[in-house]
Amino acid sequence: MIVNIAHNLADRRLNNSELDNLDDQQLQINLWLEKVAKEQDKQAFAQLFKWFAPRIRGHGLQRFKQEAMAMELVQETMLLVWRKAPMFNAEKGKASTWIYTVMRNQCFDMLRKKQSRKEDSISEDLWPMIEEQEAAQEGDHFQKRLLLSHLNSLPLQQKQVVEAIYLQEMTQQELAVHLDVPLGTVKSRLRLAIAKLKSKLEAEND
Amino acid sequence: MIKHHPTRELLIKHSSAQLPLALSIGVSVHLEMCAQCQAQASRITTRQADLLWSQDGSQHIDFSSMLNNILEQQPDSPVKQESKPVNSTCVAGSEYQLPRALTAFEQLKWSAFGPISRARIIKDADNTRASLLHIDKNGVIPSHKHKGYELTLLLEGSFADQNGEYHKGDFIWLDNQVEHAPFTREGCLCYTVQDAPLQFVSGFSKVLNPLGQLIY
Repeated sequence: MIVNIAHNLADRRLNNSELDNLDDQQLQINLWLEKVAKEQDKQAFAQLFKWFAPRIRGHGLQRFKQEAMAMELVQETMLLVWRKAPMFNAEKGKASTWIYTVMRNQCFDMLRKKQSRKEDSISEDLWPMIEEQEAAQEGDHFQKRLLLSHLNSLPLQQKQVVEAIYLQEMTQQELAVHLDVPLGTVKSRLRLAIAKLKSKLEAEND
Repeated sequence: MIKHHPTRELLIKHSSAQLPLALSIGVSVHLEMCAQCQAQASRITTRQADLLWSQDGSQHIDFSSMLNNILEQQPDSPVKQESKPVNSTCVAGSEYQLPRALTAFEQLKWSAFGPISRARIIKDADNTRASLLHIDKNGVIPSHKHKGYELTLLLEGSFADQNGEYHKGDFIWLDNQVEHAPFTREGCLCYTVQDAPLQFVSGFSKVLNPLGQLIY
């Protein structure tokens, strides 16, 4: 409980425009990684690489205080991203978080190797990637926030349905009763609204 | 019902790969058993990632040969990877399945002293020692305290000390100078980590010495 409150406070410290910028970038990263996963798209990978390589190197320098190891961290992390991309599941979390966990695991194994000259990679036993993704609910939340940022572009009736279901967490049945319309009408308004929001997002990020 | 959990600080350090292996194993085993902490750890990881990636990425380094090297490699085929078989171990006549985080530690060697059996997992890496400790039914460990910290993670069974009862999945962290004498009615298997030798406080230090060496 205390933890949740702490998270909310931290959220509030970021103002909305910062969040919007972050989200656009995150969505772009998601699209790139999905292209790598599904089509082995080399251009999308080159974009990911360009975005992440300098940041990973920066982190490596902080952790290892050594240029060679920092570059090894970039090389090994991005190689794993290229090879393991098909394991990424966009419905279960953000691509940037997934890439962070790949780097974090690599970092742990490299530190261990440096300290104890152990060659094994134990990080996979410590942080199973699949489970981490399954436990993360941030993904839903993130997609939801993205969708909601385009709410005002919807016709009033559709907007009403999306707000009731996603913001007030009403069930579709409750909403049908509340609006005094058949359940089928609620469903079709919601379907139209989601399709419209999705196409907005895609248009923006293509 | 798990009542004892790692602190937020430990979860943060675990998520950013800053704990010694012995402690990261302890946290990882707990996360495997505790959905609540697993969800919290995921949130922490997401925030760490957001924070790290928000840092400046504009360095003028030529990464092009690295990029080309990577693109020459063949990506893995998207078949679902089979999870590694988990490890099991035999002690005091019972077989136990070990948690996933201990998969790499095969062929554990047990040594016994009375009702207590120990298998070393990690010896003196980052000033920590980690072991599996098995205590038979109605076993007791004489009253002792620690100079540093002691982590006990209950893998099977239950035990009690003067502070209460502990059950499967509990993550029990004792800081220096806490004195306790754990007792188990049904027997238990624990993963333990210490960063300093135990001190026995009940006056039989000579008699207990072999025990101290066994369980530290």
